[in-house]
Amino acid sequence: MLPFIAKRTTTLVTAVVVSSFAVFLIPYFTPGDPVRKIIRSRVNGDVVDDASVQSLSLSLGLQDPLMLQYFRWLGRMASGDMGLSHVSRTAVAEQVLPALAVTLSLVVFSLGLAVLVSLPLGIAAGLRPGRATDKVITTVTQSFIAMPEYWVAPLLVLVFALKLSVLPSAGWAGPASMVLPAVTLALRPISYFTSAVRSGILEASAAEHVPAARARGLSQAQAVLRHVVPNGLVPLSTLFAVWFAGLLGGSVIVEVIFAVPGMGRLLFNAVINSDVPLAQGGVVVVVALAVTVTTLADFVHRLLSPTVEGSYA
Amino acid sequence: MLSVNRSRTIMCVVALLTLSGCGFSGGQGESGSAAPAADTSQRIVVDNFRAPVADWALESDAAYILSLSGCLETLTSYDHAKGEVVPMLAAKWTQSSSLQWDFTIREGVTFQDGTPLTAESVAAALNHVLDATVRARAFNRTMISGVTALDANTVRVSTPTESPLVPYRLASVNAGILAPAAYKGATLNPFGHCTGPFVPVSEVSQQSLTLKRNEDYWGGDVQLAGAEVRFITNGATRAAQVQTGEADISLSIPVASLSALDSAADVKVLKKDSARTATLYMNNGKAPLNDVDVRTAIRKALDLDALAASVYEGAAAPATGVFAPSEPWAGESKDAPKQDLDAARKLLKDSGYTADRPLEIIAIVERAEFADVAAVLQENLKAVGIPVTIQAKEYAAAEPDVLAGNYDMLLSQRNRLIDIADPLGFLTADYTCSGSYNLSHFCDAEYDRLVTEAGRTADADERYRRYAEAGNILTDKAASIWLVNEQATDAVRTNVLGYVQDPLSRYVLTAQTAKSGS
Repeated sequence: MLPFIAKRTTTLVTAVVVSSFAVFLIPYFTPGDPVRKIIRSRVNGDVVDDASVQSLSLSLGLQDPLMLQYFRWLGRMASGDMGLSHVSRTAVAEQVLPALAVTLSLVVFSLGLAVLVSLPLGIAAGLRPGRATDKVITTVTQSFIAMPEYWVAPLLVLVFALKLSVLPSAGWAGPASMVLPAVTLALRPISYFTSAVRSGILEASAAEHVPAARARGLSQAQAVLRHVVPNGLVPLSTLFAVWFAGLLGGSVIVEVIFAVPGMGRLLFNAVINSDVPLAQGGVVVVVALAVTVTTLADFVHRLLSPTVEGSYA
Repeated sequence: MLSVNRSRTIMCVVALLTLSGCGFSGGQGESGSAAPAADTSQRIVVDNFRAPVADWALESDAAYILSLSGCLETLTSYDHAKGEVVPMLAAKWTQSSSLQWDFTIREGVTFQDGTPLTAESVAAALNHVLDATVRARAFNRTMISGVTALDANTVRVSTPTESPLVPYRLASVNAGILAPAAYKGATLNPFGHCTGPFVPVSEVSQQSLTLKRNEDYWGGDVQLAGAEVRFITNGATRAAQVQTGEADISLSIPVASLSALDSAADVKVLKKDSARTATLYMNNGKAPLNDVDVRTAIRKALDLDALAASVYEGAAAPATGVFAPSEPWAGESKDAPKQDLDAARKLLKDSGYTADRPLEIIAIVERAEFADVAAVLQENLKAVGIPVTIQAKEYAAAEPDVLAGNYDMLLSQRNRLIDIADPLGFLTADYTCSGSYNLSHFCDAEYDRLVTEAGRTADADERYRRYAEAGNILTDKAASIWLVNEQATDAVRTNVLGYVQDPLSRYVLTAQTAKSGS
């Protein structure tokens, strides 16, 4: 167990350093002057005077060598200080932590919804392979993959906010405002989760211990509940973790359309505006959380399927 | 059996979604009655298109949010209806010498923290903006030398050169006045330190600003109990919110949402000419566009009417020149140039242009519609024998090449009044020989002379006449091609009363803004 924890800790530190450095470099390897981008994010105008560029560059230390700037940030991070945002001039932690709380709520709600929907569908499809139930469930859920969020989100707003007036069209004020963004985000995971559960059920059904259980006197339903379903859910835990990690910073479109003040929108704006401290702070938190969640998922996977224990060595 | 179960599942999901929304009061508001009465217990929701930046620093666009929220006020303000600068926190002003303006502070005004507005507090506030690291566009040390308190009620503003535009500069939101307690070192705290009709009480970062009525407002009774200004960057979302009644006023509605709002009950769409014109910049300093005949031929090849009707769906008007016709400095009214393909071909032939020199249009990607605009221009120019390639770029990526003169044409847009309610800054920066933002690389001695003279002319009518003359030179020389004048479009619920649209979105919540009872 200790080697596993050490290995994962190393992975975490490496991922944080690599990703924060990559984010740090983005403004310098994309077209346009980073300082002018910062100014334009504060002042929405075309003309940026050179004196302002120079004085801001000086006050933010952006004229220093790149590596010096990076290690200065790393030093501050080591003492728990994420620094100040270039654009908002407020503490990065004060922006990242509320955004993280919002995104976590949204992701947990949407993936929870996805699990609730996909579990019965996947089990039903997996227990009746090739039959009408399986075909309908597979066809419908697979179609969700082809529904992009920028199409689904306005459609849901049109129906539930504009036509039926039962849900808010946007904002983040209470559970009702969470429904439409969560449903939008849940559609594609529903598709993948259902497919994974179906495959898991099919595989578990074909295992030798199922007929053996039936031979020991268990009914078909008992055999399915005790031996097929638990084993069929193993792939879901890994897939859940992967989606969880992905959605932490990857729900930009949904967050913009529904005006959700989450991590995706925050990171997107930070990168667009060359707000390096904010982007780095956000990425560090997202990466750390993603590595932690996938590590936990591995533990769960191990509990559900002891045969994969060796892979953690 | 299976289909029954499936139906039940679907019904359950729909029921769940419906129940989840039961607590939401997003229903339709009352339809506008003949004579609605203001209900002073009402609050209002405004969807704004930008969120605060720079920790509310007044040199940044955060000043616009404080101003439209009815918190921040300035010494003067610009009345669009009258087309002139009018008193606000200053009761009157006078030019005391060629380089000095004296402003008399309005008596009886207190900040929201209870401290009185004095000449000293005004001078301190203005000097704070002058010392900002990133210069305020309208109010910085290049045009203002300093601000001093002459006595308890008089503030003197000094300029390095004679400028008739000082009262205009003091109408800029960047020159807003906050109480001395708002300034603590490099940070700024506007909460409770404004003079306006609304007091900001709380902010949810990147989401909203909540305000309450200022019971002691110097400008009279405030008609609303409070307000919430939401920061919604997505235009379609702002449109949806005013349609559902979640918002009472939504600013800057995108073209794509206009048809839905035009037909929506209880919503009124307000439009005004904006100071923003979609422009085809041409590189006047590089062949073949350094030839005025080639530039004129390109202008004659374009069908601006079709462009406005198709891409902009009628939400923008074909441009008649560098200014919108409704601007007081637009000069004599004229029609938008009409497409004349034969004249265009003749000019091209006379200039010696041949199709073996294709041209490139850079379309900036920040404006989604420019991809379609560029395609229309490409077709128009193809018809007169000019092959055009289109390159989509972020503005930041295009700017260095454009400023250096390494381009043919740039499809972009520009706000003429982004600093002050006078086009001098725009005409100087964009088209004078030494202009700091001369994307066209245009240079004309007569034009420079007119603009310089205008900058020294105190009489507004005379100044506007010179602007019009300068604009005519730009049109005659086809320095750029002004394609369409965009409109400022706001959507307002019909139970909102006393709302006066400001095309620059500086004044939205005022003491007169009201809402009828629901």
